[in-house]
Amino acid sequence: MLRLQFYGLLRLMLSGKEALDLPWQEGDTVGRILEKFQAVETIPLTHKLISEQGILHAGTIILLNRRNILHLDKLDTPVRDGDVLALFPPGAGG
Amino acid sequence: MGNGWHGKLLRVNLNEKSCTTEALNMDWAAAYIGGRGLATKYLTEEVDPATDALGIDNKLIFATGPLTGTYGAANGRYMVVTKSPLTGTVACSNSGGYFPCELKYSGFDMIIVEGKAATPLYLKIHNQQAELVDAGHLWGKTTDETEDLIRAEFHGDAKVACIGPAGENQVRFACIINDKHRAAGRSGVGTVMGSKNLKAIAVRGTGGVTAASPTGFREAARETLKMLRQHPVTGEGLPALGTAILVNIINQSGALPTNNSQFGTFDKAEDISGERLVQTYLKRNKGCMGCVIACGRVTKLTDARFTGKGEGPEYETLWSLGATCGISDMAAIVKANYLCDEYGMDTITIGSTVACAMELFQRGLITEAEVGMPLNFGDSDAMVKLVEMTGKGEGFGKKIGLGSYRLADSYGVPELSMSVKKQEFPAYDGRAIQGMGLEYATSNRGACHVRGYLVSPEILGLPEKLDPQAIEGKAAWAKAFQDVTALVDSAGVCLFTTFSIGVPQVTKLLNAITGSTCSDDQMMVAGDRIWNMERLFNLKAGISPAQDTLPKRILSEPLPDGPMKGVVSRLPEMLPDYYSVRGWDVQGIPTTEKLQTLGLA
Ligand code: SF4
Repeated sequence: MLRLQFYGLLRLMLSGKEALDLPWQEGDTVGRILEKFQAVETIPLTHKLISEQGILHAGTIILLNRRNILHLDKLDTPVRDGDVLALFPPGAGG
Repeated sequence: MGNGWHGKLLRVNLNEKSCTTEALNMDWAAAYIGGRGLATKYLTEEVDPATDALGIDNKLIFATGPLTGTYGAANGRYMVVTKSPLTGTVACSNSGGYFPCELKYSGFDMIIVEGKAATPLYLKIHNQQAELVDAGHLWGKTTDETEDLIRAEFHGDAKVACIGPAGENQVRFACIINDKHRAAGRSGVGTVMGSKNLKAIAVRGTGGVTAASPTGFREAARETLKMLRQHPVTGEGLPALGTAILVNIINQSGALPTNNSQFGTFDKAEDISGERLVQTYLKRNKGCMGCVIACGRVTKLTDARFTGKGEGPEYETLWSLGATCGISDMAAIVKANYLCDEYGMDTITIGSTVACAMELFQRGLITEAEVGMPLNFGDSDAMVKLVEMTGKGEGFGKKIGLGSYRLADSYGVPELSMSVKKQEFPAYDGRAIQGMGLEYATSNRGACHVRGYLVSPEILGLPEKLDPQAIEGKAAWAKAFQDVTALVDSAGVCLFTTFSIGVPQVTKLLNAITGSTCSDDQMMVAGDRIWNMERLFNLKAGISPAQDTLPKRILSEPLPDGPMKGVVSRLPEMLPDYYSVRGWDVQGIPTTEKLQTLGLA
């Protein structure tokens, strides 16, 4: 299994749901997991993180075991059984 | 036809109880943009940087920018500029709300307050009529009460900026609160106001601001509006969750200073997060005047222990009264935030100072008898109590009112103050985010996040993602962010717009309003000029470049936890680069050639 954690707008859209476990398969990537996540939800959600062309929005933060995937292989980053993916749609402050 | 300016400043002499109108120096307005830049120019010309910040010779300047009060973006900001009693550096604190635009609409671009009143006074401005009136009946009142009383006796639509009891009691980090919940927060600008016996400025203005190119401005404003609305951060993230969204982001990034920076993650961060605030006390979002982002939080407490309503807490406050004190009690944080607004205190410095006191207690350096209660990390009741005692100037609150540096120094351990130049860090660990460590060390007003917010590229990935642990190129990024911020502040625009708009858009707005024809590069030079002018003020004030440093903990104690476990700040490697990209000598002094290129020599 792989754990997805929801933050910011995503959590509000999911009525407060904080996390979801998804089955993991050999060869899964961050992008593939996002597709699986969208497939089990009833409302559109992943467009808050990536564009229709499959590009991460400016300001989207996806942490794989607390490391930003922008410093790994972005959406092509491979994931493993037991990994934690934290999903933050763009947000900011100061 | 106008140019964003009325061309008038109001000079208020408290010794003589006089108010006089003067022409604004338009050459300076062109070179220093307005707001922070222009007010600092006046300060450097009129105040000896070595003067006592709380003495009669310091001045307090309330300044708008040429874009303050215009429509189309987030253009409702003003700045308070003075010499800081906390740091001894130049101080510039920025606030939004409604007061800044009202000041502009009154027909004045700037107010310079000088001298000291013999008895408490407040300043009343109705369009271009200004007078000083007795404030004896307001002394001792909270900011909330003060605003209500002034509106009742002066004008129902007046906008008020005032100090609370903390400013009167000379708490070193008192702020000036306008519109009840908006703060010119840092560096003790409210302490200076209190030292002058000036309780408030109340303004009613019914004029406007005119642009040199009305059609050009309309076009630029419309474009800006669209950019702000379409960007996911300013169009959606900030309105929905406000700045509080950062709690989980920064915690997951291992950069949330916890227990006075003894750790970089807080295991109860969820309890003090923006997401939790939405589920508990948030009523709605709210904007400063004309702002399309509306990041403000209107909240109401419904906790059995605490009551109240107001605005906030912002991210910085959730951290300062929360994580860095080891506190996860959201109701207590919201309550203490209200108290800070009512008494008029900077939430960042007070939270950090309470955290510092908690570490002194943890180490046995202060006792329960001295504080009047135990002071363990995580004790939210003690934190709320201390905040109140500080505002009132009671008991151990008097020591908290000194700020963390003076507090820790009085126990012989100044290194336990998480500050630079005696001003406390905001909510990002300078080890986990290397560029922020450099920014804190070099900021002209002591540790600060809104002098060059490198969290944006290093964590949020805006405008592009940088590795927070890399140090190559960070000096140039720090300089660029510092200069852009100086420009944006001076223009009168909210810094949060820069998550979606860049210098070209700010240039367009400024050129259209003032009639200037500056290039983006020239605008950046203006930011650089303002930064160097502030640096010169600080050097003359006796702030040596040796103070461009960080506490020992950040430089030599590796983070013990989280994804950034094991790292320390690499400031010593970045600082020489920084001086070099700034065009300063190896000692950190601006060279004559550099100053000549900026018109400062
Ligand atoms: S973005 Fe927030 S702080 Fe800035 S002007 Fe708008 S409401 Fe005020």
